[in-house]
Amino acid sequence: MTVTDTRPSAGTGSQPVPSPAHRLIGLPAKIAKSPNFARILFPIALFAVWELSLIAVEEIWPFAVDVLPTPSEVGGFMWDEFITDTLARKNLYETFFISLRRLLSGFLIAMVLGTALGLAMGLSRATNAFCHDWTMAILAMPALAWALFNSIIFGFDDRGPILTVILAGIPFVIVNVREGVRNTPRELFDMARSFKVPQSKVIRHVLVPSLMPFMFAAARYCFSIGWKGLVIAEVFGGQDGAGWTIKFWYDAHRAHGVVGYAAFFVIFAILFERLVFEPISRRAFRWRPQISTEVVEEAFGEHHEHYGEEETARH
Amino acid sequence: MAEIRIKNLHKEFGVGADKVVALEDVNLEITGHSFVSIVGPSGCGKSTLLNILTGIETPTNGTVEITSDGHVAAPGYVFQAARLLPWRTVTDNLMFVQDDRSDDTKERCQRYLEMVQLGDKGDKFPGELSGGMQQRVGIARAFSIEPDVLFMDEPFSHLDAITARALRRELHHMWDETKKMVVFVTHDVGEAVELSNRILVFAKGGRLEDDIQIDLPFPRDPADDEVAVAKAHVLRKFEELDLLAS
Repeated sequence: MTVTDTRPSAGTGSQPVPSPAHRLIGLPAKIAKSPNFARILFPIALFAVWELSLIAVEEIWPFAVDVLPTPSEVGGFMWDEFITDTLARKNLYETFFISLRRLLSGFLIAMVLGTALGLAMGLSRATNAFCHDWTMAILAMPALAWALFNSIIFGFDDRGPILTVILAGIPFVIVNVREGVRNTPRELFDMARSFKVPQSKVIRHVLVPSLMPFMFAAARYCFSIGWKGLVIAEVFGGQDGAGWTIKFWYDAHRAHGVVGYAAFFVIFAILFERLVFEPISRRAFRWRPQISTEVVEEAFGEHHEHYGEEETARH
Repeated sequence: MAEIRIKNLHKEFGVGADKVVALEDVNLEITGHSFVSIVGPSGCGKSTLLNILTGIETPTNGTVEITSDGHVAAPGYVFQAARLLPWRTVTDNLMFVQDDRSDDTKERCQRYLEMVQLGDKGDKFPGELSGGMQQRVGIARAFSIEPDVLFMDEPFSHLDAITARALRRELHHMWDETKKMVVFVTHDVGEAVELSNRILVFAKGGRLEDDIQIDLPFPRDPADDEVAVAKAHVLRKFEELDLLAS
């Protein structure tokens, strides 16, 4: 008797043969265990809890329905906004275009200035000593404070929100670029020098690619922190834009408007991450075949959590 | 034809009580199509000598001339780790050290990649290759600039024994085919005997203790009696010089 002959009999001996009924029960269990199912289940559960808790609240306090929006109300509001049927002064697309323009202006200025400062701080100890405490101070300052401060200075135009984006985002750029410069691969520079590779080529093929992961982390954080800062700035110092519109619905006592607009805000941030950062990241880091982009992001996350902690510690 | 002339070379590090002599009065001449191995225990100055030859460090005293037909010789390098740009493909890593991007240059790079058996791996990133393949790319890169002299600093010490052996064969083949001068630093006497026609033995304190010619035919199999005898001979020299104790 061969080994393969004995195996099935041993198997059936120790385990009962699954009946068709068992298999039927096994299938949903298999689906329930799949990550995609879990992903879809989350919003369903969320909406169910939302709707059910509203029904429960209504039982106790009937007036609550006027204040608390149901998922269908929020959905209806979002759909109206989507087809530009709105009570607000500007429709969804105009509003987001205005905010996006401010965000991008602030983001680009923060990236350019932050990169220059980060490079200087990474290369020179003296510059680092000079700028370090200032960077930490800007990092520790809540975006709300910048928003208020800038609206006092600039009133209700673009400058306040843009400056808020810059101030909220720039410390992340500075710190990341500085770390990038400090982590440049010395042995590759030595190699390039031995082969007498010209400086411009070394910058293009060694320095810039080695800074890329840090630049990328900087851009992501600058963007998301800047986006949040912008909305706060628009609430206090804007006459339009996503933040201002959330405030508009708040002032109009339309809770579904506040929730719906906040949802647009989140959707926009997610779309930008998926459609802009992820494809660029995949392309820029395709030389790391063993590391999936998700792992890279996690690594960035860890890197930044620590700045976040620093920030909260100072608050 | 490449020539290396080293006269009264002396190198010290530190001052006063901390002074360390790394190389002491080294006189040496290497010419033509030689494969010269520099062997010795750790701290014998072999890395310092290579650093001076490659211009990373300057001598305290003495002169070093590396010429080729009266001109300053063009050097190529193979490092202990492959030192490839991880974000560039294999072909682009070779192109990185070239002076131009002409079709001739591209063809030459491809030719050297084929010589190290990686002709079909040009589009891969270094991270997709094994350690041995990466070191092969490093070797192809050094040869691809068609240098007069090749300096190699323990290029196989990070590799497993079987891969290292395969690479030694390839290296010998390339040396034989291109007729370049190779200066090879290693701590492995067997490797030195297998590859070199000349072995320079350095002792602690940076003295050149022995200059051994190995006149066995190539390719050399380490299992061959003659190669084993030559290795034993070099190791005996080590013993005489009391180098094994260190």
